[in-house]
Amino acid sequence: MAADSVLKVLFELDGVFIHPSSEEGGSEQDSLISGCLRIVDKDADVLVEYRPLEDSDPSNMLCAGKDSSSVMEWDQCSGEKLLETQQSYETEWDMINAVSFKRRSVTNGEGSLNHSSERSRWAFSFSLSDLRCIRVKEQGWSFLLLQLSESCRSPPALHFHQGGSRDFLESLRRFAVISQAAGEEVCLMVSSPNRALSQSFENLLDENNFGLANQKFRNDPYVTTLGGFSKVTNYIFDAFRGAEEQQQRRPPEEVADLLGEVIPGLEINQQEEPGFEVITRMDLGVRPPVSRRDPVSSEEWSRHQDAEGRMINVPLLKQIIFKGGLCHAKRKEAWKFLLGFFPWESTVEERKVLHRAKTDEYFRMKLQWKSVSEQQEGRNSKLRDCRSLIEKDVNRTDRTNRFYEGLDNPGLVLLHDILMTYCMYDFDLGYVQGMSDLLSPVLYVMENEVDAFWCFVSFMDQMHQNFEEQMQGMKTQLIQLSTLLRLLDLSFWNYLEAQDSGYLYFCFRWLLIRFKRELSFQDVLRLWEVMWTGLPCQNFHLLLCCAILDSEKQKIMEENYGFNEILKHINELSMKLEIEEILQKAEGIGLQIKSCKDLPASISSILGWDPPAPPPAPPPALRTPQRGAACSSPLSRDSSAQNGCSPAFIS
Amino acid sequence: MTTKTSLLKVILLGDGGVGKSSIMNRYVTNKFDAHLFHTIGVEFLNKELEVDAHQVTLQIWDTAGQERFRSLRTPFYRGSDCCLLTFSVDDSQSFLNLGNWKKEFIYYADVKEPEKFPFVVLGNKVDVTERQVSTEEAQQWCQENGNFPYYETSAKDATNVAVAFDEAVRRVLALEERTDHLIPTDTVKLHRKPRSAISCCS
Repeated sequence: MAADSVLKVLFELDGVFIHPSSEEGGSEQDSLISGCLRIVDKDADVLVEYRPLEDSDPSNMLCAGKDSSSVMEWDQCSGEKLLETQQSYETEWDMINAVSFKRRSVTNGEGSLNHSSERSRWAFSFSLSDLRCIRVKEQGWSFLLLQLSESCRSPPALHFHQGGSRDFLESLRRFAVISQAAGEEVCLMVSSPNRALSQSFENLLDENNFGLANQKFRNDPYVTTLGGFSKVTNYIFDAFRGAEEQQQRRPPEEVADLLGEVIPGLEINQQEEPGFEVITRMDLGVRPPVSRRDPVSSEEWSRHQDAEGRMINVPLLKQIIFKGGLCHAKRKEAWKFLLGFFPWESTVEERKVLHRAKTDEYFRMKLQWKSVSEQQEGRNSKLRDCRSLIEKDVNRTDRTNRFYEGLDNPGLVLLHDILMTYCMYDFDLGYVQGMSDLLSPVLYVMENEVDAFWCFVSFMDQMHQNFEEQMQGMKTQLIQLSTLLRLLDLSFWNYLEAQDSGYLYFCFRWLLIRFKRELSFQDVLRLWEVMWTGLPCQNFHLLLCCAILDSEKQKIMEENYGFNEILKHINELSMKLEIEEILQKAEGIGLQIKSCKDLPASISSILGWDPPAPPPAPPPALRTPQRGAACSSPLSRDSSAQNGCSPAFIS
Repeated sequence: MTTKTSLLKVILLGDGGVGKSSIMNRYVTNKFDAHLFHTIGVEFLNKELEVDAHQVTLQIWDTAGQERFRSLRTPFYRGSDCCLLTFSVDDSQSFLNLGNWKKEFIYYADVKEPEKFPFVVLGNKVDVTERQVSTEEAQQWCQENGNFPYYETSAKDATNVAVAFDEAVRRVLALEERTDHLIPTDTVKLHRKPRSAISCCS
């Protein structure tokens, strides 16, 4: 047959039984169906097939696949009888076994129910992509309940009287991600990885859900699949350790393999299919030692300036700023370049011209809100709300800093006016809490309203997406961070997953305002100028997150912190972090990742290394922040270049 | 029951700048900082207390009030035992928004019986001389919206803060005592539910 020519058997096991009595309570109370369970590759689709022994007629096969022209139809059948038989099993089966199977119609014209077709009715076949969940149970022998996607009827329970269920699951594992459902020892979630990724992220970011409906997480199988990438092997090993002692005679190297995969140090490997990631073993290698240097002095800065004021040897200059930051005296000048207010190659004269134009533009916009009368504002709720919130927040931003302390401090007025003017500059965005935190250090350094405004505008170009209505930037960053953390520290990532904290909500404040609330004011200045160099890679701030988490993971795991405690612990790190140490560690982690062989594409695209094919992203080191176009900011570039998870958000 | 410590989750909701964090800090640490940062994200503090011989650990959750952050704060509503709806007496808009906060809470907290849920309303900043919301207006709103207890507080001078939290705890405990009796019947119901569902469809 033509179909047979492309059929490849990947796994085969005889002596797998179906208990018709517990499936239907029908006429076959006493007989068990024995058959052959196979995993086959048919036309590039992986199928799971079961055929009763005495029946080999493929035309009687039941198909549960989406596109199947099924000759029979499973029907949801219920009744007291079914329940009675189920009660002999453990009660938790009730929910699962509520679906039973009943032949409805025969469409292939061979309706007579002889013995053979009575048996053949138990045959089934389904595409692995339809398999959702496997329940593993033990009753002197192992039996499995396979649950398919909603559109398909699930097949009857498979009883492994002669063992082999473990082999079967291990074979499945080669084609799908299998993970243990949270809190359930007997339930395995199955997912072909593309779906697992997108689904779990959808759940992660679903507005109603973002985060932490703990219970929902428990109950929602898809979310737990996110953990699946790593838990596969742990699970397989644990779940069957006791279940099939008779099956334990396995080649030692296979056992070692299983054990090895439980040990951290795994790689998320990119396959051909987009978004299809499978974990294989790999070594991240040792974290190389990293040294930092002194801040760039005024003399060093001057050495990078030519007679007309153009900055020269900019890559080197950026490198030394990255390595040590700037001395405070040079910040006022250097930040304008770092943020992109002044082009590096501009002369002093050109900058004067630019500055004049920008000054005019600023005051024109300032005049706009300044000239709105009280009556006008009464009819403009958006402006009113912005003003009201800005007034409130200005009074609660860095008030212990000398620049903003006390009553009627001019710093407060400037903070207020710049934020109001920014509302005019970007009326769609308006004012969002957190923006005053971003402006405050910039204004402190600039000590000038116009310069601070334009530098803030540049900074906001990078941060814009964090504050947008849909908070796309936050979502993207949380996913990227999760992807990185999974590569760097699978065991910790698993731990967070198990505590329903895998979406890393506790990093929200870090990411929204770039550690502004986590560090002392002076350290924020240092951190930001280092980040603005764009070195050593795109999204360096995510490596900073990884560095901090790396320092905290021991405490978190040893103390067995749960969801609340993790959030509290991370919140309370504020003002206790050592900036140079974090920078050093983050840079080390970056080097460690970079030296990774076969770096997964998802990781390199986050960090901007070897971006995959078109569209080519500009190299991060040469990036100059551009004003006025949020879509050209590094953040948005990431989200488009990101791996298979992004579509879930973009849609 | 009386010897057991129960953990109660209380959540503070209300517009930005009405003083949610200040109320929490006043209550838990008895301190007030006029220049406290506005909250980014979500925070919580625990406080141990004894109310009518009940040992209680209050877990007080404080959130960012701006509309923009709705999707990031609402997941934390689940499992709340009590909700403190907060406005500022010198900000009429924050008072007008109380209804929205109540609605948002009920929707996202997945409250089974909203009409029985213990809300407590706080009118904060009574130390301020220029009021925009009168006591009568506020009381009327509370009466019309579910007969909620109303407290005029000042995180700054500590007026009524502890009293309001005590009341919140009492409300929760009273409600729990009532529902305690219902638990056995509820349990049976839950067990039966899937079965009856199965027998009625075919």
